[in-house]
This record gives sequence, structure tokens and C-alpha cells, in this order.
Amino acid sequence: MVAWKLILEAIGILIYATLMGFIFMGIERKAMARIQRRVGPPIYQPLIDTLKLLGKKESVSHGFIYDFGPVFALGASIAALLFIPIANFQLFSSSADLIVVAYLLEVPMLGIMLGAMSSGNPYSALGVQRGLLTMVAMQLPYGLAIIALVQHWGTFKLSEIVALQQLHGWSILVPALLIAMIVFDIVFQAMLGLEPFDIITAPAEISMGPMVEYGGKHAALLFTQHAVQLFAETAFFAVLFLGGASNLLELLIKQIAVLFIAIFVASIYPRFTIDQAAKFFWKWPTILGIIAVLLTM
Amino acid sequence: MKMPARVVGEEKVKLKKSFIKPWMGIKYLFKKPVTIKIPFEKIEPAPKYRGFHTLDWKKCIGCNFCGQICPARAIEMTWIEGEKRPHPKVDYGRCTFCQFCVDVCPTGALGFSENFYLTTGGLEEDLELYDWVPIDPQKVRELNERFGDYRFPVERIKFNRETREVTYYLRDGTEFKFKILGYGLKPPAAAKPKPAAKPAAKTAPKPAEKKEAKTEKPAEKPTEKKEEPKAEEKKE
Repeated sequence: MVAWKLILEAIGILIYATLMGFIFMGIERKAMARIQRRVGPPIYQPLIDTLKLLGKKESVSHGFIYDFGPVFALGASIAALLFIPIANFQLFSSSADLIVVAYLLEVPMLGIMLGAMSSGNPYSALGVQRGLLTMVAMQLPYGLAIIALVQHWGTFKLSEIVALQQLHGWSILVPALLIAMIVFDIVFQAMLGLEPFDIITAPAEISMGPMVEYGGKHAALLFTQHAVQLFAETAFFAVLFLGGASNLLELLIKQIAVLFIAIFVASIYPRFTIDQAAKFFWKWPTILGIIAVLLTM
Repeated sequence: MKMPARVVGEEKVKLKKSFIKPWMGIKYLFKKPVTIKIPFEKIEPAPKYRGFHTLDWKKCIGCNFCGQICPARAIEMTWIEGEKRPHPKVDYGRCTFCQFCVDVCPTGALGFSENFYLTTGGLEEDLELYDWVPIDPQKVRELNERFGDYRFPVERIKFNRETREVTYYLRDGTEFKFKILGYGLKPPAAAKPKPAAKPAAKTAPKPAEKKEAKTEKPAEKPTEKKEEPKAEEKKE
């Protein structure tokens, strides 16, 4: 009694998500290059990078937890992906899968932190410290945005949220949920690790943050994880606020629209310091989130 | 008259912070990138770009002014078979391309071209390319007109340690051969023994003839040996 159809669908979605995730990363690099008046790399560049990393002869390991961290992060991303309704495929579903996905999308960061801490590098320790503080800071507006959404639609099921949006119009057409969308979008920037909140990796500041020791196959795994994560997060955004999608193409257009907003914000604003980021998250997004929650009551 | 220092008011230079203004940066997304796609497009270096050297072997008098002014000490005088005077050999491992040597050259023998491209592998025989006696400017110009990519005019340099014979394989396929007899200001020891021919050489110096037979060659050397130390004393 093996559910062959389910397994095949899962594998298919996984391959599609990984590939599209890499393409999204490519789009990100290309669009940022264009905003800086450069040509930029070809759109499939992250794929080449990952293949090159997989071809490395040696990769340093600092013990079991160090190897386990990226695997754990990738696993969490894949698990989150399988709970999100991608067009008309939703492979797993529970009565409260909104909460499941919302927190499975946070878990990969913990996985990376776990691996990074075991490397014993002070840079990764600093990155982990910043990462955890960012996570703590962004939980409050993130939770408020989701509460507003749940209160408005009255359900925790993602498939039901999509169905209701297709009946009554997209979430962002409701004023209260538009505010929630703005809050979610700010948090989204931090979830993707993009510019105003890229305090965790902070290129050129604390060399590469948690990923400073990762190289070779570990880094390839982290790249893949980032691709899946990018796909899952944009799909999650599209499902929650842009009315889901009935086919993959529609979903893709919505995902890219979401991605482009993130890229624009990332390419024009400079990086926050960690204390500014925490203060910011507990100020404006929280206020907006509370307003959104009050409006939906 | 003493002028008071002019200070612009701080309120004039202080910018107002804005959340909206950074979005102006997005406009470049739809503009053409300003990149020069290097393998497909070319950039012309400035007409007097300081690149690799050229040396007119007929004009060079071996005065070593270039060697003295060189801040990186990249120039070493080289005795070449068939030449009465030493010629400068430039080491591009040390050269800073300041072209002081070109400015100081009294006869204008040392010049420079706009060529600036020089890449090699890391092997010992590849690295020979960085150490050369510059070739004739006419030849460099010719090669530039033919290729137009501002690369080093020599493709490969072969230096035979036993025979001390140097071969330049130029980019158009021609070979340029000469023999290095020694380095430094003093004539090489290989040319020294034959004091018997000394008076004959002194009486009849032949500046025009370059490719002389080996028998005549050593005869001329001692004359220079006498001249050189004097020149050195004057300079230092």
C-alpha cells in the first residue's frame, strides 16, 4: 500500500521547486546587477555555482553536528514546501497547516545555526547571535500578521484560505489584510536574508556570518537549501495574500512579483545594525500588525 | 591681506533623511547597463598609454641612464653579440611602468608602446617572457596594426643556458635571435682575452657595422672596457 502517486508528485514538486529556486536566485542577482547598471551573471549562474561546489575534492568537517546542520535545514525547507499548496498540488495537509508552514520556514535558520556553532569560529558565533536576535525580533510582527489573516478568514487551513480568496477576492483587497501584507513583507525581507535585514550573513562585515566555515559540498547543500527556501517562502506569500494559484504558471508570476518587491527593497536600502533591526521590528511593523489585528476583530 | 576661512553652513550640506527617495534608484533597472563586454567589445587605451617598452637598437649607446633612474631597478644592461654597446634589458616582474627611462634616454632609443596585455602560465619557461631586451618600435607598430589587441608583441621567449642564445617568437610567427654575452656595464669576460687586437680596434672603430664576424668582435670590446669605468665615475 505505498502511495506511489504521492511519492512521484513529491519528487516532481521537489525537482521543480529546486530548479525554480535556483532560477529565482539568478533573477535576484540579475535584477540587482541591472539596478547597479551592470549586466550581471546569466540567470542560471547559481545552478553552475552549486554544481561547481559539488565538484570540490575536499570539504572540511568539524564533526557530526556540523554535517547535520545543513541537512537538517534542507529537510525543514522541503517539509515546509510539501505543506504549501503549490497550484493544485498539496501533498500533505492538516487542520492547522498555516502554523506548521509558518514555523517550518523558521527551522532552516536553526539548522544552519546548529551547524555553524559547532564549527567554533568566532565569526559564525557572531552571525548566530545576530541571527537568533533577528529571529526573536521578527516573530512578533510575523505572528501578528498571521493572526490578522486567520481572524479574517476564520481558518488555519491553507487550502481553505486559497479557496476563500478565490471566492471573495484576494487578501490584499481587504484593507486590514493589506496592512498585514505590508508587515509580512517587511518580515519576509528578513526571512530571505535580504538587504535591510541581511545582518545574519552580513557580507563584508563579519565575512560570511554563520556560513563562514562551510565550503565544498556543505556549501552546495546550503545553496540548494536556500533555493528551496526561496521557492517555499515566495509560494507561501502568494498563497496567503495573492490568492494562491490554480496552475503553476500563475503561481510563478505571483512568486516573481513578490520576489521583485523584495529585490527592489534589498537593492536600495542599506543594512541595519542588529540593535536598529530589533528596535525597528518592535516598533513600526508591530504597530501596523496590531492595527491590522484590531481591524479584523 | 588675510582672508577669513570660508565655512559653508551645516544646514546647507546636511541631507534630510527619507524613506521614499531611495526608490529613485529603481529607475536604472530599465536603462542600458554601462558595462563594456570585454571579450566582445574593445577599449582603446589612451594614445600615450604607458605600456611595454620599445628599443631602437641602432640608437642605443649603452649609457645606462635608464638603469640609473629606474626606481624599481628593473633595467639591467646586457651585452649582445654583434652590438658594440650594452642594451637595456627590462624585467617586467619589477617594472612599474613609470617610463622615467624613456624620458631620460638621451638618444631617444628607448620608447614605449600602448601594449599592456601580458599573461602567462606559471611554468619557468613561460616566465622567461617577463625579461626581455625590447625590440624595434617599427616592429611593434606593425604587430599592433596586424592584431590590434594590445598584447605583448612576443609570444614566447626561449633562452638556451648553454649557448646563451635567446629566441623571440614574435606574434606573426617570425623568429628573432641574438646571443647574450654578459650582463652589467663591463664587457663580458668571454670577450676579454685578446689584448693583442687592441690597438687595431682603437684606430679603426666601425660604428655602422652591426653583424660582424666573431673574430672582429672581441677586438672591439676592450676599447669599451676602458671607456665604461670612466663613464661610471662621472655619473656616480
